[in-house]
Amino acid sequence: MGKLIEELKQDIQYQHGMNACLNCGICTAVCPAAEVYDYSPREVMNICHQEDEEALIELLKSDKIWYCGQCFSCTPRCPRGNSAARVILALRRLSIRYGYFAESEKGRQQLFAKRVFGENLLKRGLTLLATNITPQNFPELGEFWEYYFEHMKEMREWWGVPMDLENSPGSHRIIPEKDMEELRAIYKATGALELMEAIEKGMEKKLGSKEEVEKYWQTWLETGDSRNYQLKKEKEEDK
Amino acid sequence: MEKKQQVVVIGGGPAGLAAAGQLQSFGLDVVLIEKQAQVGGHLNKWYKVFPDFTPAEEIVAHLKSQLGNTRVLTNTTVTAISGEAPDFSITTSSGEQIPAAAILIATGYKHFDARLKEEYGYGIYDNCITSVELDAMLKENKIRTLQGKIPKKIALAHCVGSRDEKVNNNYCSRVCCTNAVKLAIEIKEQLPESEIYCLYMDIRVFGRTYEELYRTSQEEFGIQFIRGRLSEASEKPDGSLVLRFEDTLTARPMRLSVDLLILMVGMEANTELAEIARLPLGCDRFYATLHGQYANNHSHREGIFLAGTATGPKAIMESITDGRSAAAAILSFLMQKAKGMEVKVPTLV
Ligand SMILES: Cc1cc2nc3c(=O)[nH]c(=O)nc-3n(C[C@H](O)[C@H](O)[C@H](O)COP(=O)(O)OP(=O)(O)OC[C@H]3O[C@@H](n4cnc5c(N)ncnc54)[C@H](O)[C@@H]3O)c2cc1C
Ligand code: SF4
Ligand code: SF4
Ligand code: SF4
Repeated sequence: MGKLIEELKQDIQYQHGMNACLNCGICTAVCPAAEVYDYSPREVMNICHQEDEEALIELLKSDKIWYCGQCFSCTPRCPRGNSAARVILALRRLSIRYGYFAESEKGRQQLFAKRVFGENLLKRGLTLLATNITPQNFPELGEFWEYYFEHMKEMREWWGVPMDLENSPGSHRIIPEKDMEELRAIYKATGALELMEAIEKGMEKKLGSKEEVEKYWQTWLETGDSRNYQLKKEKEEDK
Repeated sequence: MEKKQQVVVIGGGPAGLAAAGQLQSFGLDVVLIEKQAQVGGHLNKWYKVFPDFTPAEEIVAHLKSQLGNTRVLTNTTVTAISGEAPDFSITTSSGEQIPAAAILIATGYKHFDARLKEEYGYGIYDNCITSVELDAMLKENKIRTLQGKIPKKIALAHCVGSRDEKVNNNYCSRVCCTNAVKLAIEIKEQLPESEIYCLYMDIRVFGRTYEELYRTSQEEFGIQFIRGRLSEASEKPDGSLVLRFEDTLTARPMRLSVDLLILMVGMEANTELAEIARLPLGCDRFYATLHGQYANNHSHREGIFLAGTATGPKAIMESITDGRSAAAAILSFLMQKAKGMEVKVPTLV
């Protein structure tokens, strides 16, 4: 058996999510991602079940494992007690750990997840801050949001959920440093920090340098779409 | 044998009826105890049965005609079993004490309660019914939606309550695939304009001539078989249903609108006498037999025997054969006892 398969099987999410599959299709039939993407949880289960190292690597490099929205609809109905949602989590970790995520468009978007949600968490203990949602990048939110964005501080005072106040209610509070230390310790102990680093490294390897990663990042911030960054290979093909 | 010995058969379905008929033909005194007002078991609900469309009534009539001097107690059940083989004493619900040298338990099965698969909407949606209810409609030659319309599109969902750890039934109920094929043909005969879909996971038509029935249903009746298990159903304002499943052969998630959805409910154990008879159950909750290969009519207690669907899903013919096989095992047991011999129960190695 291949090394990656061995490692996959060590993942507790995989162990809990993967029994034998009946190929009944119940999961794919309810999966919202399967309705809009070329994606099928049943297919993912099958590929894993083959225990074929090459097929697994192919999967880890593909967009597929990133289509899942982690809604867990597939899980409560599986007649064999499988959970494609959990298997996906295990696959994503593996894909990040070995840098395969950077081979796919959806995978590279992990940089966004890391830099926004991940870093917010480490700094503030919150995944998303209202200040992240700039009207420039989210014009679809319209003028109400624009108004709120500009008057956030005073408006939150009116509502009694002030910004940046220790232990106040609401999604913009400051979490005491002592609690933050505990949170960071959990992130370290569970290997999440390592995965975050692996995302930066994997991107650097794929794009060629730290500067390129920043270019990718900037393209995204400015245009709101990472596909506007052209990979070297694509650039050459264009010529 | 010196003195005439009495055997009590509990349960008057095909297995119990066949066993009683056979036992009395051996010259034994037989008492048949049936809970319902009529013997016949589940056959009293069926119209025509697979694989050959024999009317269920005909089978019951035949088995009853073989009962000879069997004493049949209907509307009766067993409330206590005391003593040990070959001197059991059975107390009935009417308060009678019946001596028994051997006991046969042939108490059959129960239907899976389809309400447990909430996502299919049985008991919630008007036009989601079970295969049991469909048989009653076929008997009346009146397949209708709840709104009184003739359904045009009809789906049969296989494996409802079977092969599903979510309802704690991991086993296959064995009869429902062939039953679905049979029902599909019967619907098509009564409603030639209808379109019929079987949503299956595996087609398990295991018996003699069953495969031919399956093929006929496709070739002559145009029944559509789609390989994908029903995932969920939802109701439209007009009472029709939208089914979601994956056609796993083309790997596409699908939606199908139907006027009537039939749930192929599986079998569950009826072991209401387990405590009274002090018998253990298998992991499928049917009665455990002494050995799965060579002692299938023997229970874990000497002198108490098992037959029919009490020990797991079976078709009618198998239940009848199993009942007769149990009768032979009982006779052998009684003959050895009568001769004062040590009983040669198939020893477990
Ligand atoms: C939906 C469906 C359709 C089917 N269609 C077919 C078909 O077309 N062809 C086919 O071959 N098979 C068919 N079968 C299978 C068939 O119904 C069984 O093989 C058969 O009924 C089993 O016979 P049995 O005697 O073991 O049990 P049962 O038919 O269940 O009879 C058991 C009897 O025991 C009685 N009893 C239970 N508990 C007690 C008690 N405590 N005291 C006294 N009496 C008791 C019951 O009242 C009943 O009369 C179908 C099954 C299902 C679920
Ligand atoms: S629902 Fe479960 S058994 Fe069915 S295809 Fe999906 S993973 Fe396999
Ligand atoms: S958790 Fe993922 S695989 Fe499961 S149903 Fe939701 S999107 Fe589909
Ligand atoms: S016989 Fe067919 S429908 Fe019934 S449980 Fe087995 S596979 Fe499912």
